[in-house]
Amino acid sequence: MGKKNDREERGGTRRDFLKLAATGAAAVSMAAPQAAEALEFDLETFLQKHFRRMSDEELEALIQRLERKYEQKYGKEFNVKATGPVDDVLFGYGLDVSRCIGCRRCVHACVEENNQSRDPEIHWIRVLEFEREAVVRGVNLEEGDAYFENPVQPAPGKMYLPIACMHCEESPCTNVCPTGATWEEPDGIVAIDYDWCIGCRYCIAACPYGARHFNWSEPTLSAEEINPDIHIIGNKPRTKGVVEKCHWCMQRVRDGRYPACLEACPVGARKFGNMLDPESEIRYVMENKRTFVLKSELGTKPKFFYFF
Amino acid sequence: MTAKEQGEGSAGEYHPPSNQLGTWVVLGAAFLMVLSLFSVRMSQDPNSSRDYPSRTLPPGPPASLMAEPEMDEDYWPCSDCHEGEVTNFKVREMTEEHENRAEFSHGTNWCLDCHDAKDRDSLHLSNGELVSFDETWRLCTQCHSNKLADWRAGVHGKQTGHWRGKKEYWSCIACHDPHNITPAFKPIEGKPRPRCPDELTVDGNQWNKDMCRSISKGHATHEARDPEQGEKEDGHGQEE
Repeated sequence: MGKKNDREERGGTRRDFLKLAATGAAAVSMAAPQAAEALEFDLETFLQKHFRRMSDEELEALIQRLERKYEQKYGKEFNVKATGPVDDVLFGYGLDVSRCIGCRRCVHACVEENNQSRDPEIHWIRVLEFEREAVVRGVNLEEGDAYFENPVQPAPGKMYLPIACMHCEESPCTNVCPTGATWEEPDGIVAIDYDWCIGCRYCIAACPYGARHFNWSEPTLSAEEINPDIHIIGNKPRTKGVVEKCHWCMQRVRDGRYPACLEACPVGARKFGNMLDPESEIRYVMENKRTFVLKSELGTKPKFFYFF
Repeated sequence: MTAKEQGEGSAGEYHPPSNQLGTWVVLGAAFLMVLSLFSVRMSQDPNSSRDYPSRTLPPGPPASLMAEPEMDEDYWPCSDCHEGEVTNFKVREMTEEHENRAEFSHGTNWCLDCHDAKDRDSLHLSNGELVSFDETWRLCTQCHSNKLADWRAGVHGKQTGHWRGKKEYWSCIACHDPHNITPAFKPIEGKPRPRCPDELTVDGNQWNKDMCRSISKGHATHEARDPEQGEKEDGHGQEE
């Protein structure tokens, strides 16, 4: 099949695109806002400032605009938030590898909480299965199997290692972003402004943990499935062509709640808290348990600690 | 340059006003361009941060204990059957009642090591102090004291609710069966696996088993995947 046919199959040639762009531009410049909506081109989103450059008034206007938009689209009430970090908080996460049974309840709780696309399927957490015997000789992440299926969990002779965003202090993904669309928040969460992501996927290439995922096509999410509790740089529904990843349930943790994956874990292997608070669970883990981080040799300084 | 020279100079040369205006327009435009470049640079600076207002969260009430799992109505309350009977202290095999406890394997313990013979609806510590069925952790940690510190710190076992705010601790017997501790946590059914990369194609949804297997080394069970697996209820009683 020739190159030209390929292009046509994928949705038109360059000429078609230019024609469409010209009509779109003309329509937006001349017609009423209703016409712009009909074209699914949102001028306000197009001109939207970067999250960190928005004034409080602009942010409030954005919240109201998004609430209107989602209520119209999904037919239920939404609570859109831009909650800021809590003072003197640096989040850290702990996971007890000796207790994880690989049941993947965290994976699916995450999908439901954070509005991931159901088809094509996106999972922010990947659970790797290892042979216990092989792990004794040393963990080779390439030997991990993310597609395991067993009648019951845990399978005998296996161990499990769930992997999601490590929220690195020296995050390579934020360093390579050409538009500054991803950055580390003051409370340690590596966040994404989905409206400023241009889909170049440099961050995916830079991340050594495979934590970032790309929306290759329009995500599908039904009105029943969508979680109406939304943070703008958190679980806001994504569009085609943007990168997404774990953000430690920003919409929950900035109100003091635990992340969804932690609450879903039946064995209590997941621990979350403020690393600056000496009374927190995560500090107890760091002070009393044997902890390790993945790929420490890369110097990314993850804030996700495995312990046993 | 004196004022006289200046006056002479300006008188000698003649600039049409339109030209002067043009120069200023060009200069002004250049200045604006530099400004706009500067602002673009600022907007891309990864170190520029949003000025978040100061926020605190209230510490919330002290941590509470999750309600213990529901008692088996066929057996609870114990006093229904055992009230007023003469206690048989002999360690023996159960044949008539509590047969499901016949495989009791918690060390060398016997029923009355934990259950109180006089107050049938209570438990007792080793020093004889009565303990209600809502505080079983006090009983367990008499021996498993090494787990107590971890549990108190919120690191052993499960906690739900808030990392700052109302926190609920799950008790020992929410996960461990006190009458049969092996295995410590009963195996449960796993949730569906992610689709293999080649399954993600929409066309015909045909996927190459070999490719999937090469990704997931050593697993040949993928053809047995039930598409309705995701809708199945998990029979795990510990979820909220």
